[in-house]
Amino acid sequence: MSGRIPIQVTVNGRARAFEVAAHHTLLEVLRDDLQLTGTKECCLVGECGACTVRLDGRIVDSCLVLAVEADGGEVTTVEGLASDGRLSRLQGAFLDEGAVQCGFCIPGQIVAADDLLRRVARPTVGEIQEGLAGNLCRCACYGQITAAVAAAAAAEAGAR
Amino acid sequence: MHAFSYERPATLARAVALLEAHGPEARVLAGGTDLIIRLRDGSLAPTVVVDLKRIAELEPGIREADGRLVIGATTVMTDIAADARIRRRFEALAEAAAVVGSVQIRNRATLGGNICNASPAADTAPALLVHGAVVVIAGPSGSRRIPIDGWFVRSGVTTLGRGELVTAIELPLPAAPMGSVHLRRTRRRGHDLASVTLCCGVDASGVTRLAYGSVGPRPVLAVDATGVLADRDAAPDARTGLLERMLAEATPSARSMRASPDYRLAMLRVLARRGVDIATARLAAAEGRR
Amino acid sequence: MSAGMSAAAGAAPGAAPGTATGTATGSGRVGDSPRRVGGHDRVTGLQRYVADLHLPDELHARLVTVPVARARIVTIDASAAERVPGFRFVMTAADLPQPMPRFGPQFRDRPVIAVGETKYHGDPVAAVAADTRDAAEEAAGLVRVDYEELPAAFTVAAALDPAAPLVQDPSLRPNDPLVGTNVLREHRVGWGDVEAAVADLVVEQRYTFPMVTHFAIEPHAYIVAPDGDGIAVWSSIQHPNWLQKVLAELLRLPLSKVRVHSPDPGGGFGGKQHTKYEPLVAFMALRAGRPVRLVLTLEETFQAVRRAAAEVRVRTGFQSDGTLAFQDIEANYLIGAYADIADRVVGKGSYPGCGPYRVPAARILARSVLSHTVPSTAFRGFGNPQVNWAVESNLDEGARALGIDRLELRLRNLARPGEAFIPFDTPCDGQWEQSVRRAAELIGWGRPLPAGHGLGIAVGIKSGPTTGLSYATVRLLVDGSVIVFAGTSDMGQGARTVFAQIAADELGAPLDAVTVVMGDTAIVPYDQQTSASRSTVLMGNAVLAACREIQGKLRAMAARLHGLDEATVMVDRGVVRLPERELTILEVLVPGLGRLGGELIGNGEMRKDAEPDHPLGGSAAFFEFNCTAVEAAVDEETGDVTLVHYATVSDVGKAINPLQVRMQDEGAAIQGLGHTLMEHYIFDESGRIRNLGAIDYRIPTSLDLPLEIVSEHVENEDGPGPYGSKGMSEGALLCVASAVGAAVRDATGVAIRDLPLTPERVWRALQERP
Ligand SMILES: Cc1cc2nc3c(=O)[nH]c(=O)nc-3n(C[C@H](O)[C@H](O)[C@H](O)COP(=O)(O)OP(=O)(O)OC[C@H]3O[C@@H](n4cnc5c(N)ncnc54)[C@H](O)[C@@H]3O)c2cc1C
Repeated sequence: MSGRIPIQVTVNGRARAFEVAAHHTLLEVLRDDLQLTGTKECCLVGECGACTVRLDGRIVDSCLVLAVEADGGEVTTVEGLASDGRLSRLQGAFLDEGAVQCGFCIPGQIVAADDLLRRVARPTVGEIQEGLAGNLCRCACYGQITAAVAAAAAAEAGAR
Repeated sequence: MHAFSYERPATLARAVALLEAHGPEARVLAGGTDLIIRLRDGSLAPTVVVDLKRIAELEPGIREADGRLVIGATTVMTDIAADARIRRRFEALAEAAAVVGSVQIRNRATLGGNICNASPAADTAPALLVHGAVVVIAGPSGSRRIPIDGWFVRSGVTTLGRGELVTAIELPLPAAPMGSVHLRRTRRRGHDLASVTLCCGVDASGVTRLAYGSVGPRPVLAVDATGVLADRDAAPDARTGLLERMLAEATPSARSMRASPDYRLAMLRVLARRGVDIATARLAAAEGRR
Repeated sequence: MSAGMSAAAGAAPGAAPGTATGTATGSGRVGDSPRRVGGHDRVTGLQRYVADLHLPDELHARLVTVPVARARIVTIDASAAERVPGFRFVMTAADLPQPMPRFGPQFRDRPVIAVGETKYHGDPVAAVAADTRDAAEEAAGLVRVDYEELPAAFTVAAALDPAAPLVQDPSLRPNDPLVGTNVLREHRVGWGDVEAAVADLVVEQRYTFPMVTHFAIEPHAYIVAPDGDGIAVWSSIQHPNWLQKVLAELLRLPLSKVRVHSPDPGGGFGGKQHTKYEPLVAFMALRAGRPVRLVLTLEETFQAVRRAAAEVRVRTGFQSDGTLAFQDIEANYLIGAYADIADRVVGKGSYPGCGPYRVPAARILARSVLSHTVPSTAFRGFGNPQVNWAVESNLDEGARALGIDRLELRLRNLARPGEAFIPFDTPCDGQWEQSVRRAAELIGWGRPLPAGHGLGIAVGIKSGPTTGLSYATVRLLVDGSVIVFAGTSDMGQGARTVFAQIAADELGAPLDAVTVVMGDTAIVPYDQQTSASRSTVLMGNAVLAACREIQGKLRAMAARLHGLDEATVMVDRGVVRLPERELTILEVLVPGLGRLGGELIGNGEMRKDAEPDHPLGGSAAFFEFNCTAVEAAVDEETGDVTLVHYATVSDVGKAINPLQVRMQDEGAAIQGLGHTLMEHYIFDESGRIRNLGAIDYRIPTSLDLPLEIVSEHVENEDGPGPYGSKGMSEGALLCVASAVGAAVRDATGVAIRDLPLTPERVWRALQERP
């Protein structure tokens, strides 16, 4: 298969069918073809995590995934986390704890943190730091991000 | 990234046929965490990329068969690190898988990719050497199996031939308990490519297996069958001398910017000493549990 | 004036122990910590950074470079590139006006594109424009550049060698006595007589500071579009107005025909100050007659911005009681191939080099040494961390030799409020001792430690802006909501939130009814720049002044409505006070504006004029002061350094938003741990950056933090900004290396004078320990 390849992907809950170039990454397709620019581009080598999305239930660096690999799959980007314009508990916690400075890494951080909380309901500090180690923040809000994830987990537990 | 054509074979036979037909023009794609970087930086420019992830016979997974644990080549690090059998029987491998990159990387990075990429720093290599892994290969003339000790040639090069690919990695289930540990040196605590990797395994008969990487063109396995290294009561000089001989094959390159050769060699010794201690203690704990 | 310390917010329940966090609270008045303004879009992915914007019909640009630092460009052959479908054109020096237009904030030495020779690894020799990003990338890869590598200088020693090749074309600085050297400028300040000073102990050492890069997670991005008879520009820049001026001059356009949009940068740290590739993209857009976009790769940002490396020799004289007798400092900063703002960094960064101490005699000589490396520019701390590392470390050496406690030695020499510690500058403007004592207390200074652990303490000081000009316009709309126009760039520091809080407080509006408009030179009034931790003070004062002008109008309105003498009406923090009663702002505004509605407009100006006779061209608007104290544990077998406790205390005058203050201080601290522990460029013999990119240039991750970090701030409302605030956000970075280095020294007994303190470097120092 070369040239444009037809693929079907469910993006943020919406089934979509479109064509992609074989050599285009999921990141490029999300940003350029689907205009989902919340997913950010920085290092392109899987180091910074700014391009983190959830693919079939697991987070990945979308710069290291070809778009065709997502064919038949399910992708969640940061745009898929707030429902009806209402912030998720985690998004609110990021703001409350002061975890957001320039904001460029934040979509990736939040997608990664959301994934962590799906796997571990009440993560320890160590688990949060490990779970988010693939997301660089040069404003270095790491302490605040850790606190935000912990606060969201606590609030979630309280709400249950 | 250069354009290429993308193939997604549904069967192993089709994959092998594609690889054989295209030879060096084709590249296997597993998790892509090594390959896509090299496609982007232009150091690899295949015309065909063959994705293994839709091949029925290559479903990821870990199963027990005939006294072996069979890890599918496309099994990702996340699943290896989490597997209860691996954590219990092959602790070092679980530890190695758990430190490959970040969560995002481990969700994609496959065991097959790690050994086929054949970086001297590949984290799983020392553990696979210590645990006596066998690489299962499919190719134009059927399937073959080779011990991992004969797999690595040099950085980026393995004994894999034209048209071949790795389908699984097998680990013989040890009859007696073994204590094993994976240790590494990195430039920061956050994820990093290692400047020294080391795995130590000590079994109940006192045999110590040390494997180390990132200090030469390929990972090295050294075995002490005398039992001296694992014997805490042995003369310190004897243990030191033995260790020195076991580490003698380390030949770190002066060209690397990650660490200088003398630091790597010094750290190899530190990790080896610590590794023997931890593996011995783990063995004792395992024996205690029995 | 309320004196004293703000308490550290305790760890939130369930939060990381040691990650003391504040939580957003309050309605958004001054002193509250509301959720950041603009935060919603940042957590939902809706925030648009430059690379997220697309213009119809745009072309994609890509730079072409050669893999060595200095090379003579022999030929550029684009014939293969031209065959790529979608290729439009290639731009080289030959396609630009002759002589080559040059720009630069201090010296006009930087060409729009390399002309004749490249001067550093990454200096673009050509740029390709194509219909798609793929085509631009492919075509750029096919442009063949024949070049001849030339001798080059990448270190201070090599650049200062009399036989060194000259980095800068001598014709660019005629009549300059230093023209035959690679020294761009020398900066000398001092007082007293160092030669005659008598000291009981003299400590002389040499220290080095590495070359590091900003690594903003948002790579720089530029879009330029022809726009009628002018151009429209989008750039992730920290000072749209300065960029506007540079482009207007280069393109010979009136300022009004250059419209700069500067969407909030995704991290700046100084690296997004000053024009970089905007002129090139502008010339390309004008040539194409279409918009052209250039989004740098992270690697290209390493080749665009960095901090100056430095070699610093310090000779400190002490009396036997620890009193300082003199400081004699010689700092060679390794700047890059083009000056950018680097020479100002050198001059201003070395100037307070003696620190916040009473020093009877001082001599500071700092050189800007040109080299064939990436142009260095502003970077959080602006030249101060380099000298701080040397001078604070040297104080420790002296204290140890004299047997005086290192904290005690600092307290003994620390300037007291009002003391002119730099004789010709703003006197000490804070109760600095409070910060020092508090940091020491937080770390448990003096307590017994386990083996292999050590304590370090250091202070940092930085001269705030020396000149400034900020205008703000505030509009109070008929429903009581407010629009603030302020030309600051909110690159994460939270300026938008602070201005909104000021306006909300002064005009009695709820915070969410305040909109802050920034980043468009066609709409927002002039601001000199976002730098030097100035915005809360300078733009903050302009916003405050604009609000006060509106308050004046409200007073007149209230007086008119109620038949009172204006002098009897007061407007104070959102309330209108008549002699007999209080009204809300709306109760005056609505009837006052009458049937047609409308609005009240206020303008504010904050100006800090230059002082021509001052060594820096102006005295400090304020000083940023910080004290950092650290407990480190060192693994002697491996050289690993673990920061067990970390305390940072800054004097901020008044925390308009305490949570943001904490975020800035902790962020600065961790950013500083980068150059302290792991970051540095590595070059090969051709001056090529070997660790180009995120794989081998390591910055701190969430796993590289101190085990515990506490930040506090001192508030005495003694600053020149609104409500007594001072600028902050660089302070906590200034002495990170000094404090950590001191703790490592304390733990091991070995002084390491080169950064970063990588495990290998620490291990090596331990091997060489006698
Ligand atoms: C940010 C980052 C951090 C990393 N950190 C680490 C680390 O800490 N430790 C470490 O060891 N590695 C690390 N890596 C490298 C990489 O993730 C691992 O080597 C990974 O296991 C590769 O697996 P993959 O499935 O992604 O391989 P791919 O990229 O898909 O393939 C790698 C190579 O192997 C070939 N190949 C793959 N599978 C097969 C097969 N079954 N048969 C034949 N050939 C095959 C491919 O053709 C290619 O040449 C890191 C990578 C990144 C991007």
